[in-house]
Amino acid sequence: MKLTMDTRRVPTIFNDSNSDSGNQFLKSLGIYALMGLILIAFLFGDQYIFQVSIMYAIVMFIIMTSTISDFSSVLLDVRDKMIIGTKPVDSRTVNTAKVVHITIYLCQLTIAFTAIPMVIGLFNQGIIFFLLSLVVLLFVNLLILIMTALVYIIILRFFDGEKLKDIINYIQILLSISMIIGYQLVARSFEFVDLNVNFSFEWWHVLMPPIWYGAIYEIVLNGVTDLSYIILAILGVIIPLIAIFLYIKLIPSFERNLEKLLSNSGKHKQAKEWWSRFWSKLFVWNREEQVFFDFATRMLKNERDYKLKVYPTIGMAFIFPFIFLITDFTSRSLDELRDGNMYFSMYFSLVLVPAGIQMLQFSTNPKAAWIYRAVPVKNENVCHRAVLKAFLVRLFIPVYLLLSVFFLVIFTERVLSFLIVLMLVAALYSRICYQVFLKNVLPFSESYRVGQSKQSGEVLALLALTIALGLLHYGMTLMTFGPYILIGVLLIINAILWRK
Amino acid sequence: MEVNIVSEDIILSLKNVAKSYGSTRVLESINLDVYQGQIIGYIGPNGAGKSTTVKIMLGLITEFEGDIEIFGENIKTSGVAYKKRIGYVPENGEIYDSLTPMEYLSFVGGLYGMDQQVIIRKATELMRLFELEDVLHTRISSFSKGMRQKVLFIASIIHNPDLLFLDEPLSGLDANSMMIVKEILDQLANQGKTIFYSSHIMDVVEKISNRIVLLADGQIVADGTFEQLQKQNKEGSLEEIFNQLTGFHQHQEIASSFVSIVENGDSDG
Repeated sequence: MKLTMDTRRVPTIFNDSNSDSGNQFLKSLGIYALMGLILIAFLFGDQYIFQVSIMYAIVMFIIMTSTISDFSSVLLDVRDKMIIGTKPVDSRTVNTAKVVHITIYLCQLTIAFTAIPMVIGLFNQGIIFFLLSLVVLLFVNLLILIMTALVYIIILRFFDGEKLKDIINYIQILLSISMIIGYQLVARSFEFVDLNVNFSFEWWHVLMPPIWYGAIYEIVLNGVTDLSYIILAILGVIIPLIAIFLYIKLIPSFERNLEKLLSNSGKHKQAKEWWSRFWSKLFVWNREEQVFFDFATRMLKNERDYKLKVYPTIGMAFIFPFIFLITDFTSRSLDELRDGNMYFSMYFSLVLVPAGIQMLQFSTNPKAAWIYRAVPVKNENVCHRAVLKAFLVRLFIPVYLLLSVFFLVIFTERVLSFLIVLMLVAALYSRICYQVFLKNVLPFSESYRVGQSKQSGEVLALLALTIALGLLHYGMTLMTFGPYILIGVLLIINAILWRK
Repeated sequence: MEVNIVSEDIILSLKNVAKSYGSTRVLESINLDVYQGQIIGYIGPNGAGKSTTVKIMLGLITEFEGDIEIFGENIKTSGVAYKKRIGYVPENGEIYDSLTPMEYLSFVGGLYGMDQQVIIRKATELMRLFELEDVLHTRISSFSKGMRQKVLFIASIIHNPDLLFLDEPLSGLDANSMMIVKEILDQLANQGKTIFYSSHIMDVVEKISNRIVLLADGQIVADGTFEQLQKQNKEGSLEEIFNQLTGFHQHQEIASSFVSIVENGDSDG
């Protein structure tokens, strides 16, 4: 009796903490449902190992990234220990409540994402396909959940306190990025000529969970009895079960280690800052600006929420240009590619700029912004300019330089003028983005929770602007001295804008 | 309390300062002159307008009625230079806590126009005195309330200001650190610094301030040394004077109904 009462009570506490974002969550479910429509494309035909693998790669990608980004806070919540731990509630009920909460979340997400494709699959592929998919989805969810938890457990065993939060932060970012690449890889792991999929078993297929499930479909629906398929299918069933077993075994130590999150111990060394030192010598002349610049670079370096929101975009900014190159490369030879215009795909690295700048207004401690007003700062523009420079130096320039090196190797020195124009465009573009997002607010002075989704219209408009800029740039290259005129014009515009 | 040398220089002067948020009037015509070397204990019930007054004087709130002169200049017209001589500790320990103390202090110090080398030297020394030298390069987010408060306190005086605004500066500090801070304030006042101190802890205010200003409902209801207040009100401690002046006598009734609700609630739960 008391147990049921408690289980009911505990989830409401969780709900309370989520209530202010409840509406937004429903909205995001809607977006997932929309994204789920992509899956429909893979429902036709009977080359299951191919289609289904891709389908599950997408499903796993979406669910895992959202679990990590939205849900790790619940999984790693230590505060509830203080609220609930002091009340007469059994630790087992708390864990049950946690599991219930996670299950509900995953179910909502999965249903939102796959409901429409599943119904279509039911009509298109028949009832067996539908039922099989239900079972497989269950396994997939289990696998995702346990994999996430196991990763956390492993980290928690070896590290503590602040370091640990950093590592979690980086893993969250890394997973989000690697899922993007992984999704590309799955599509490319088949050599397909027309629609005759030529699946040859390679050892590394064993490491890719979506293929396991593709194999199950192949066995059940096409009656394939190849040994490699059976191995894959068995893996798909057994690994989640082993994972659950491991997870249950490790939960107590997980809980114990979670408390490390609250503690801090040991000395920390001063961070090295040669990179920003170097750039600030180049670009920052004013003393006050220098102070703001240092402050902003350190904030960007340390704010975990900022990193979590922006770093995955860095991964995209870096990878997208190559994805387009590879797509092109599969249909043409390297020489053809080298002579082509595909280096314009580097414009995709600009996605980083609006995403990163939009987040500059937010901070985990928005109220600490009193400091801007309490100190003798005459001109706020100095502060804005310094923060924007810090963003470019810390986040954009590294991506740009790395990409430039690769592009110079691939396309030789003839893209040099292109690269210069791109940097100038980026400087101009970032200035525009900054005006759009931080016209009326000071940097790091708003809470992440407020108004984050408000500005999606602006983001879209700004992304459209990159395309316009790219087209303009392309148009100019068709003229003989086009690029040089463009460089001159951009230099002048930048000089005017940055002087303000 | 030892006798401080209080000179006749007016550091801070408020004339008919008033502030409303929409239709609610937070401050009604505050008039106050503060002399160099004074430690002002600025007290009042929650919501009386203490923090608002401090924020107005600091320039955190720029819309208000009346005039404020700091160091002899009207802050509405003088520009921001006066802020260089002011230090401030905010009430709830609000700080960019993803930075380390050293990073935060060099930011704040830098904005006050200090040289980086000087900041690093001073910050290291001051942190050492507060026994925080081990965490100079650790994120503030892992700090306890008291440790944050110490960092904020250092941040408020690192540039050697002439006027200090402290909003509950002792909250979260342990007894030993509290003694250190109290002594620091006393010595600073003896050096001719002026300190504007708001707090709810009456014992502390009673001990360290040489002038007490009591604010209630947006008005100053008492102003003078502790001895003067005692004479006027015939009450023993500052706490009792506070209760009397803010018209609060029901603490016993409220307490007993509170206790009875707690005890009765048990039987139906």
